[in-house]
Amino acid sequence: MNGRPDAPPIAAIAKIKNAMRLVAVDACGHMAGLRTEQTLSDARALFPDLDVFDHDAQADAALLAAVAAWCDRYTPLVALERLPESVSGSCAGLFLDISGCAHLFGGEEAMLADVTARLRVGGLMAQAAIADTPGAAWAFARYGEKPVIAPGEHGKDLLDLPLAGLRLEGEMLDMLRKLGLRTVGCIAGLPRAPLAARFGNGLLLRLDQALGRVEEAISPRLPVPELSSERIFAEPIALQEDIERTAAQLAGNLRQRLDERQLGARQLELKLFRVDGHVVTIAVRAASPVYHADRIVTLFRERIAGFHEDLDAGFGFDLIRLNIVESEPRQVEQADLGGNTGKNHGEAFSSLVDRLGARLGTDRVQRFVAADTHIPERSYSLVAPATGRAAAADQAVFWREDGAVEDGGGPQVLTRPVVLFDRPEQVEAVAEVPDGPPIRFHWRKTLYKITRSEGPERIACEWWRDGRGGHSRDYFRVEDEEGHRFWIFRQGLFERETRNPKWFMHGLFA
Amino acid sequence: MQGNRQRMEVLQNAVARIDRRHAAFARHERLRADGGAGVFGIDAVDAAFKDGFPVFALHEVRCSLTRDIGAATGFLAGLMAGRMKHLQGRIVWICDPACRLDGGQLFPAGLSMFGLDPARLLVVRPADLKTALWASDEAAKCGDLAGVVFQIKGNQPSFDMTATRRLMLKAQHNGLFVCILRQGGDEEANAAATRWHVRTQPSAADPHLEKGIGLLRLELTLERNRNGHTGHWTIAWNQLEHGFEHVPTDYVDRPAAPFDRPDGAPQMGQVMAFERAS
Repeated sequence: MNGRPDAPPIAAIAKIKNAMRLVAVDACGHMAGLRTEQTLSDARALFPDLDVFDHDAQADAALLAAVAAWCDRYTPLVALERLPESVSGSCAGLFLDISGCAHLFGGEEAMLADVTARLRVGGLMAQAAIADTPGAAWAFARYGEKPVIAPGEHGKDLLDLPLAGLRLEGEMLDMLRKLGLRTVGCIAGLPRAPLAARFGNGLLLRLDQALGRVEEAISPRLPVPELSSERIFAEPIALQEDIERTAAQLAGNLRQRLDERQLGARQLELKLFRVDGHVVTIAVRAASPVYHADRIVTLFRERIAGFHEDLDAGFGFDLIRLNIVESEPRQVEQADLGGNTGKNHGEAFSSLVDRLGARLGTDRVQRFVAADTHIPERSYSLVAPATGRAAAADQAVFWREDGAVEDGGGPQVLTRPVVLFDRPEQVEAVAEVPDGPPIRFHWRKTLYKITRSEGPERIACEWWRDGRGGHSRDYFRVEDEEGHRFWIFRQGLFERETRNPKWFMHGLFA
Repeated sequence: MQGNRQRMEVLQNAVARIDRRHAAFARHERLRADGGAGVFGIDAVDAAFKDGFPVFALHEVRCSLTRDIGAATGFLAGLMAGRMKHLQGRIVWICDPACRLDGGQLFPAGLSMFGLDPARLLVVRPADLKTALWASDEAAKCGDLAGVVFQIKGNQPSFDMTATRRLMLKAQHNGLFVCILRQGGDEEANAAATRWHVRTQPSAADPHLEKGIGLLRLELTLERNRNGHTGHWTIAWNQLEHGFEHVPTDYVDRPAAPFDRPDGAPQMGQVMAFERAS
């Protein structure tokens, strides 16, 4: 395929071994004798007007990832080929585990034809093969003639392929070639012990993997969803209402399976496969297990509404799939006649959390959790609200209610502010040396004269986190003439830790 | 089979509807029995309300300067802790993103000192005001909550009469305490049942420490009251009783400013916070 019939060949170049070398050439250049790893000066000698551009490995990886995402339409198990550069024949490749999927596309031949035809329409030339083992498929895709190898046949056909089909290092291949071993068949019949002694275990492992004597697992790029339901459209759809209706149907399909197992979905994703190969994934989380189709659709509706731009449907979506990524057993609670359901929050609350989380993003809807430290800004964290099982696990974390009436022994003054600044703000303060409270200070370009103060409350730095040289903080509660009460601290102990301690504003009292 | 399932769903929905109605009814009853509804908690303030303090309505607490946000937050925390002791459910605290820049954020340890359990709070921080308004609307629709706080900075044109009236109706309908916490804003006509203005006051002298900070005092002005008259009080936080109490004015160091008529010439311009120094 050549999109530029009148133009000279084009090649990608990169600096390899201190010379500019070709990394990839197009078909036209290949026919004319250009090869990868050729230096650019040699190539220019052949083609003075050769078009070159810099090789961009990241863009290649991104393209491969996009193709891998597109391949999800065939099987949930798609793995990227991760081979070292030195392996002969390594290039961008994908493994698809199509066990149990081929019949959905009319058999293996039809599926393979569908994959390559769709990729060609997208402007990509792909070589593909189907075989019993990943190793054999790799070899046949690169060096074989038959694209589909019948089950059990790969052992016989593999013997005729060149040794490079075994995913071997370039140096090892050279050595084997010098010994006259050129095809897989040459080494398949040789005694194993001398081969292992001469070439290491790698050669035999690759041979065994290709022949299926050793199991080889591919590592899929995404976890397999627990349940999934999909719908293929003869005519692509683009309207948001249609997408929502489809999502509702898919959720309805899954309902029966969820009911059988008494499960609810905690994490869902909706995959929209656009006709031009782009895949849009919309992921949502639910605060509690959901299984009603309308609640699931609400989550997606809010998520889509929360996007800053509209869903780009292009020429439409031809496949929509709903995946349940994470599920959890349902909790069934019965309300008494007074409407009390044992727990503080019911269905409506978790539904609210879901809607807020879907529209705003789950990191913007949070609750406080106490942390075991005295440094104020670290003494709490904000986490996603969990209801149900996860909430029960959190019961261990509780708030120290300093001012609770029940214990009676708590402090009788308010020692902590209600508002805290994320980042303490530096103030210019005049204070008694060495460790007295501030007398007046400048904060946000206003002068405050302090009339009352209490302190210091010393909070030492956490050396196990901040390392050596961290400064202690002396917190003072101060009040100015108008009654504003501030929480202000001096960082560093005078003369012991620093000569010029700095003052910071950290919070506001009521 | 299909018909059975549909009938089952219809019945389940009906049961859920009855449950919800019972729940809302039970809340009102329980609160009335506990004395939660209709009582503000300070006798002097309660006298300003004809039919008692309307807990399930929209309220507004404002402070004129950003540095007073601590006082306003503390007042609201104390008020909510007192009113919602017997009320189950979470409190949703929605924070307009503009507030965080110069107003800091809630500190749970401080809130728990006012008796408000931080674990009950759900903190929502939308990315812009539009979604913040949407979130407050959604939260006010939810009957499982105890209260909703919408913290907003200044007077925003999009948070107008219509938006506040919607909140008010939802609060009354669902039995929720909904409160606008306005940080550094002016008086503004809206649908809230009450509007409180909070200012700090120098605290009382500490009996044990010479320069110590005693009972914290706030100057509380009821600027608007749909059902009663307005008023002006100085209140102090009593940590032993866990509540605010009225401090009679003659104990205060200086006379109270008039609250219902202009005192002297009105201030020109607007007080604004400068950019942060660091």
